[in-house]
Amino acid sequence: MFLARVVGSVWSTVKWPEIGGLKLLLVRPYSLEDLAKERAPEKDLVVCADVLDAGVGDDVVIAYGHAARVAVSQVLGESERPNVPIDAAIVAVVDRVQVTLPEKPPERG
Amino acid sequence: MIRGPVIGEVWTTRKAPGLSGRKLVLVAVRADSQLTGRVVVAIDTLDARTGEEVTVSFGSGARNVIAPGPDNREVLADAAVSVLVDGEE
Repeated sequence: MFLARVVGSVWSTVKWPEIGGLKLLLVRPYSLEDLAKERAPEKDLVVCADVLDAGVGDDVVIAYGHAARVAVSQVLGESERPNVPIDAAIVAVVDRVQVTLPEKPPERG
Repeated sequence: MIRGPVIGEVWTTRKAPGLSGRKLVLVAVRADSQLTGRVVVAIDTLDARTGEEVTVSFGSGARNVIAPGPDNREVLADAAVSVLVDGEE
């Protein structure tokens, strides 16, 4: 899993039927540097399914692979959903993050 | 698996039911002696402390940390702290 900031969404009309009705969001994963500088992530972009009604600006936890399909299934309560062709999903919306850097940067001046 | 230091914790309220009650920690990925800059979120059942060096298992390996056995396909886990590292040589 990884920590990410929601930055947008994608929509489509032509899609695999099993994916119909799923909201797809664009998220940027946090790097160590982003957390250290307490800034929003600016690199990389991942598309993930959202069943928790997250919005732009929310921090979220993303799961990959089978866990992503399990999460979608748990929230929607549909046993067929594990066959949905996704491999990334929001599994939690973040309230708070506490970070303690492992190696403090050298003090300046 | 990856290894690295625990650098923090994540608190959530709105989440998939399978994550309820799970402690989530942030782990900075280490390669050789350097941190790569990547950070992962892992379920922690070993009570890892901030600053402690751990390994994180992914995929079905993570499910086997949470619920060992063949019938754990419905367990929601794709990353879990699997080892608290004491040392290496």
